[in-house]
Amino acid sequence: MNAIEIGRLLRSGTTGFVVGCRVSQLNAPGFGALVRVPLEDGYQVYGLIYDIHIDDDGLVRQLITAEDVPEEVLRDNRENRNVPVEIGVLAVGYEIGDHIYHLLPPRPPLSLDTIFLCSPEEIARFTEVGFGYFRHLLRDRDKPVEELLAAHLLAARAAQTEAGNSNWYQDALQHLIAALRDDYQRLMDLLGTAGEIK
Amino acid sequence: MPVNLIDIQKKLTDFSVQAKARAARIAGYHQEVTHLVEAYAQRGEELRERVSRAAEQIPHLRCAVPGNEPLDLTVPCPNLPETFTVLAADGSQINPSRHARIEFCVINVAVVKMVRGSGQAPKIFTRSQLLDFDAAFLPTGVLIPEGMVALKRDLQEREALAELAGELIHPAVSMTDGPLELYREPQEAGEFDQTLDRYLDVLALLRSRQLITLGYVDKPGGDLIARLLELVQLDEHDLEAYNPRRRRFAGVSDVYLLSSLLVNPGDRSAVFAIHSDIARRFSGDLALHFFYLNVGKVGRPHLARVEIPGWVAKDRVLLETLQAILMEQAGMLGSRPYPYILHRAHEEAIVTMAEADHVEEMIVAEFINRGIPIGDISHKQFHKNLPTQKTRYQG
Repeated sequence: MNAIEIGRLLRSGTTGFVVGCRVSQLNAPGFGALVRVPLEDGYQVYGLIYDIHIDDDGLVRQLITAEDVPEEVLRDNRENRNVPVEIGVLAVGYEIGDHIYHLLPPRPPLSLDTIFLCSPEEIARFTEVGFGYFRHLLRDRDKPVEELLAAHLLAARAAQTEAGNSNWYQDALQHLIAALRDDYQRLMDLLGTAGEIK
Repeated sequence: MPVNLIDIQKKLTDFSVQAKARAARIAGYHQEVTHLVEAYAQRGEELRERVSRAAEQIPHLRCAVPGNEPLDLTVPCPNLPETFTVLAADGSQINPSRHARIEFCVINVAVVKMVRGSGQAPKIFTRSQLLDFDAAFLPTGVLIPEGMVALKRDLQEREALAELAGELIHPAVSMTDGPLELYREPQEAGEFDQTLDRYLDVLALLRSRQLITLGYVDKPGGDLIARLLELVQLDEHDLEAYNPRRRRFAGVSDVYLLSSLLVNPGDRSAVFAIHSDIARRFSGDLALHFFYLNVGKVGRPHLARVEIPGWVAKDRVLLETLQAILMEQAGMLGSRPYPYILHRAHEEAIVTMAEADHVEEMIVAEFINRGIPIGDISHKQFHKNLPTQKTRYQG
């Protein structure tokens, strides 16, 4: 299967990075999706999308005041104008020489590196290593962590089930319950959100 | 503090009193000119003869010339065609500067082409020209003035439109920001004539390809109609003594005059020709004409001047088409009506400071590779470039 490119890197740090993409590329990535940034010599960084951000500008604000926005103007602003969609990604691990680590990457990706959406096989491969990457999410209290975990668990459960690991989801929940046993409120929030997963 | 606000404050009372007095004086003339519009509404032939006579007496006469429509005509906005093409071109430039490390000039032109009714995103075309090194200098050895660069840019805007005029879905309208008429500084006479000849060739090409062309002037300050009506009050002796710097109706703008006529959104005025030294070079099908268009909303009129060539001015169907298209374009920007496509062409054409610096770096790198000596920026420019927390008004 061809890898799905979702954009290029705008700025990055050790704990995460921001990807810019055109609106026409926006149908692929979703909140909670696992992405990867291939770098050099088999080194690639993994991350979870925690935010998709679309900025306005003066022209967009002005267009809102018009009675009608024709299709051509709509597409002009979405396809031609230099207003990229920004995707926030939380770093959750990296890979070197076919070995996946749930640690923060030693080096962040560089400007204009290409970001790809992980396939179900790649999600299964990243998540089968264990649940160590959960701590990167649980540590960050500025992001909608419970919602992010729920979105990720949904995608990972499907990928793992397809790979024949039907117990993965329950194991993941057990791991999260253990990790949040001292934080009743967050645990309840997480379980409440996870309860939405059918 | 760079501006002494206390000094400004002291002056505000006088300043406001002067503004009020000027407004009162113009309001007085407005009444008079409005009566003249009514009185001469159907006397176009008489007015044309008057202009013709005045032109013999007054050098460099500049005024409107009525066409076949009554002076006080108001034409409501017609219906929009189902499918049509709109193009807009705009340009931007890096002017050569003796304060820079290298003297160079870049003209950047963008054209945006929108096919309404297609549902497709507009196409954008950009061309960037680094002028030949020698072209940045006059024969006298000094750098070409900014006005001459602007002339070259104006020409390139039209040329870029002409390049795209071949295969279009008609009706097709092309526009640029500002008048169709070109202006010049006195020192640019030689270059101006060459540029104007080429400009006229391009306008003729657009005409042959049936690409309606117009110049859009937002918030126009022109007073060509008031200048015309001034002439009817002058007898032969007055004509000889006429001084364009001491005009009776000075300050009565066309917008001020027509705002009471063009009250409904989409209303256009009568079409007038332009009489001026330069306009005389635009003859026949290319003769310069203009009308005013209320692109505003109900209760919030906003008049724009639209300059068109003769072949469009004399064709009622084409006039209706461009009137409707301009209204739609201006309406796209909602509460601040202005043709959307012109704004987009401006966005695409503009050269940012960062881009200008990048172009300069490219030239410097090439010069270094070829062993060509590079100058230094002037000390004045160096100090201006120093980072500062104060931001300066770039007026």
